[in-house]
Amino acid sequence: MKTLIKLTNLKKVFSTDEVETHALSDINLEVKQGEYLSIAGPSGCGKSTLLSLLGLLDTSSGGSYNLNGHDVVDINGKQRAAIRNKEIGFVFQSFNLISELTVAENVALPLTYRKDLSKSQRAELVTAALEKVDMNHRTKHYPSQLSGGQQQRVAVARAIAGNPSIILADEPTGNLDSKNAELVMALLDKLHAEGATICMVTHDPRGAKRAERVIEIFDGRIVSDSPTMPSQIEEAVA
Amino acid sequence: MDILSDINFALRTLIKNPKFTALTVFVMTTGLTLCIYMFSFIHGSIVAPLPFENGERIRAVGTIHNGMHYQGASFRVHDFEDLKKRVQSYEVFDAYDVATVNLSTSDRAVRYTGHYVTENFFEISEAKPLFGRLITNEDGVSGAEPVAVISHTIWQNMFAGDKNVLGKKLRINSKPTTVIGVMPDSYQFPSAGRVWMPFTTTGKGVARKDGHYVAVYGVLKGGVTDKQADAELQILMAELAESYPKLNSNTSAHVWTLQLAAMGSDTPIIILAMELAVGFILLLACINVGNLLFSRATEKGKETAIRTALGAPRIRLVMQMMWESLLICLISGVLAVLFAGLWLEVANRDVLESFPFDPPFWWNIKITQTSLIAAVVITLVTAFITGILPALKATSGDFNATLRDGTRGAQSKASGRLSKVIVISEVVLSCALLLLSTGMVYSVNQQNTIDYGTTVEDIFTASVGLPEVAYENDEKRQQYYQNLAESLLTEAEISAVSFTRALPGNGASYENIALDNVDYGKNPQYPSSSSVGVDHNYFAVMEMNLREGRLFDSRDKIDSPLTAVVTDNFVNKFFKDGDVLGKRFKFVETDKDWYTVIGVVNDVIHGQPMSYNIEKPTAFISIQQTPKRFMSVVIKTEADNAASVTGLSERVVDIALKVERDAPLYNVKTLRNSITARNAGMNFVSELFLVFAIASMVLAFSGIYGVMSNTIVQKTQEIGIRRALGADNSDIYKHFIKQGVKQLAIGLAIGLPMGVALVTMLEASSIAQGSLMLYFVIPAFISAVMLLAIYYPVQRALKMEPCAALRHE
Ligand SMILES: Nc1ncnc2c1ncn2[C@@H]1O[C@H](COP(=O)(O)OP(=O)(O)OP(=O)(O)O)[C@@H](O)[C@H]1O
Ligand SMILES: [Mg+2]
Repeated sequence: MKTLIKLTNLKKVFSTDEVETHALSDINLEVKQGEYLSIAGPSGCGKSTLLSLLGLLDTSSGGSYNLNGHDVVDINGKQRAAIRNKEIGFVFQSFNLISELTVAENVALPLTYRKDLSKSQRAELVTAALEKVDMNHRTKHYPSQLSGGQQQRVAVARAIAGNPSIILADEPTGNLDSKNAELVMALLDKLHAEGATICMVTHDPRGAKRAERVIEIFDGRIVSDSPTMPSQIEEAVA
Repeated sequence: MDILSDINFALRTLIKNPKFTALTVFVMTTGLTLCIYMFSFIHGSIVAPLPFENGERIRAVGTIHNGMHYQGASFRVHDFEDLKKRVQSYEVFDAYDVATVNLSTSDRAVRYTGHYVTENFFEISEAKPLFGRLITNEDGVSGAEPVAVISHTIWQNMFAGDKNVLGKKLRINSKPTTVIGVMPDSYQFPSAGRVWMPFTTTGKGVARKDGHYVAVYGVLKGGVTDKQADAELQILMAELAESYPKLNSNTSAHVWTLQLAAMGSDTPIIILAMELAVGFILLLACINVGNLLFSRATEKGKETAIRTALGAPRIRLVMQMMWESLLICLISGVLAVLFAGLWLEVANRDVLESFPFDPPFWWNIKITQTSLIAAVVITLVTAFITGILPALKATSGDFNATLRDGTRGAQSKASGRLSKVIVISEVVLSCALLLLSTGMVYSVNQQNTIDYGTTVEDIFTASVGLPEVAYENDEKRQQYYQNLAESLLTEAEISAVSFTRALPGNGASYENIALDNVDYGKNPQYPSSSSVGVDHNYFAVMEMNLREGRLFDSRDKIDSPLTAVVTDNFVNKFFKDGDVLGKRFKFVETDKDWYTVIGVVNDVIHGQPMSYNIEKPTAFISIQQTPKRFMSVVIKTEADNAASVTGLSERVVDIALKVERDAPLYNVKTLRNSITARNAGMNFVSELFLVFAIASMVLAFSGIYGVMSNTIVQKTQEIGIRRALGADNSDIYKHFIKQGVKQLAIGLAIGLPMGVALVTMLEASSIAQGSLMLYFVIPAFISAVMLLAIYYPVQRALKMEPCAALRHE
């Protein structure tokens, strides 16, 4: 399989009021196309920071990042925006739907930033994405009129609408009850089965279990990187 | 206790947020200062009743001729006498006359304003002499000994404060007159008078057409409204017009308070414009502060929701927020009273001094008890308006939704709609207000720079009035003017001398005329024209242009057929085919012989440069043919610096006294100054509106900027989401500009027509003037403000990394 992500000695330092936080140090990581990766670790270890760097939502303090064959460390804001738009789909813990937009408009949002799509093409992609998450019966609703689980499914639809190379999810089930969490996880499973590459941060062991590969971060460093073995995880939890 | 702790809480919040407090207090103080200033000004000059027992019911009666209002001595005494017999609405209906009179003792001659009055006049105005007695009705009967009451100033100047002045003689217009009383200078009813004589003017034994003009005033009966009195006058005047069509066609009358009459007939509309402007500004201030309070309340939305969930009654939460707005408004109110007071003092000292007249005695332009009460009321109302909506809105949200924290900003949707409404109203108000105030400033500027149709530089003017007794016939008068001109020309600095009945910029007599060969029927509707007597060299001295025909010359003598030189307006109005030379017209009221038009000159503006004056036709007639006793002297001089101007004016006065001891020159000034002084009132108004314009600009800018930047800060997270989904900077700018343009378009679509309508309304009375440039520049300015108000906050938000924006609370 093709290598989608290659991080070499990636670093992130936050400097606030004379305090330097080394959120990430010397991260080396490769993610192949079609992989389902789960990122685990204690609170404050740097999981979200890593995901932000992967998603080009933040700039690294050192090291290199190759995404889909392109070096993305030294590119300008416009190019970063274009990569976020085409290559990456985000799913957030707090859904992050825009409350003034309907379900369909929320899903269409990333597509509106593409100049090469016609209106009808956009509509088709939106319908397809909403069908995948089984939310096509709520297109005209506003986020506030949906349950948390439904909102997160819409957020997933938004993440996949533009057929990105990789889906980045930061605790996608963190704000959901177990039943809804299960639904969203099943959805990610399905997407993975259809060929999607997924990087997911999760505290939820049942969620992590679904991934094929788990990396563990401690204090800004990757301390383990292994294929998931149900037994291992259960041991770890126990 | 609850209240005390709430106040305490509100105070602490204000102290903890000094920037917020300073901004809100600044905005509110601006609005309230303008409001209190305007209130005190209008109240002190126009609304407050005259300080007499019947002050509320004292009225001046003016005439309306061809739609123009005339104040002062504007009634033919015959009309007054007829009205007096018939009016029902008045307790007292009376007349007086004002004229400048020559006062002379054995060694001095001065010119002063004199009032010819009745006993009523003194009674109504509660006059109390310093000593001596007042004029009684017996003094007015024919054959009575001529008497006069003099002012303190005259007593000092002409009698050196001699205690035994009573019974002494004074020559008034060359007539020996006995002094019977001395008035304090504080007595200025209805304007600053210096000498009072019995009112003897009557229509008895005088042909109606030769009737003298008098000023009419009265005291309304209790319970009679101005409207009723007005309606009665209209009916009676219509009857008079029917009985005397030649003299009274197109003439009606109107009741004024003395206060309004003193300010001119345009005053009500100017005041309306001021009140609108101040109201808009205060509204802008309320919206701005209300919005600031509201956005603070939404920031604390979660806190409020938690309190509600914990069972705090809504009224308590509302009250807590209301205290904050009340405190802000109270602080601003106190500051505003101070600033308004200071400003009024400056206005009184600097601005009113530039007026060509002494301010009326009833003007009490300062912070009075009434204006303090008004200030308190306005402040409380403002506090309520600014506080109640944000408080209700902020506590009405579904607290459950806020607490659930499901989507981003469940509450921000409502507040988003509100901020759109706020931005739109800011655009509407500021657009209308800016158009109104700049329209006003623009028109005054136009007036100040307008071409009067003559030169106004290097011209020195003075007024002169010949005593009736010594100058009873035309020959004597003409001889005097010739002598004066010759004497003045001996001065090296004087290169030309001429005479006119009305200087450019000064009002000219406006009379009904009849054209030859036109049948005006049984109910004649005569046209009107200004009539201005001038000396033959006037056109040359004033550098006017002859269009066709000839100017006055030696052919236009006292005994030759009457001739007239008319203006372009005259031709355009009455001789549309342009064929005017040799045509004839006559002045209807004086019913003299026909005047033959011999020439056409360019238009000259008489009166203030308002459109109705600019459009008036004028007929110049020769003072050689009709020499009058009152005249303006026009002196062409090369003296160009202030010192030589003062020196010259002193010498001019001396020379004139040598020519005629009983005809001192008065109103000696440059033509430029006389015009500037005439425009002083409008300049004052225009300066006010300039302040309004600046205030509205500042408030609109800070308001629009405040709302927009707030909205954008609240949307920081949304910006993060959009960027995470691939929006680049230009997409984000575009998104917000698109929203802003929508609000801008709605706002301008309402505000622009509103402003244009206001300007058009004022244009009718020449107070404001619209221009395409303003209609373009002001919306453009507001659009620029809007764009800046979007650009900077968005730029700031874009400086954040998207992940930081996403975490923004
Ligand atoms: N903007 C920032 N400024 C300063 N320090 C930051 C910033 N963002 C994160 N950090 C610090 O970097 C470290 C890693 O934070 P990160 O959010 O990645 O943790 P996390 O693994 O996602 O934790 P959690 O499981 O609680 O979400 C923490 O110590 C955090 O305090
Ligand atoms: Mg995290």
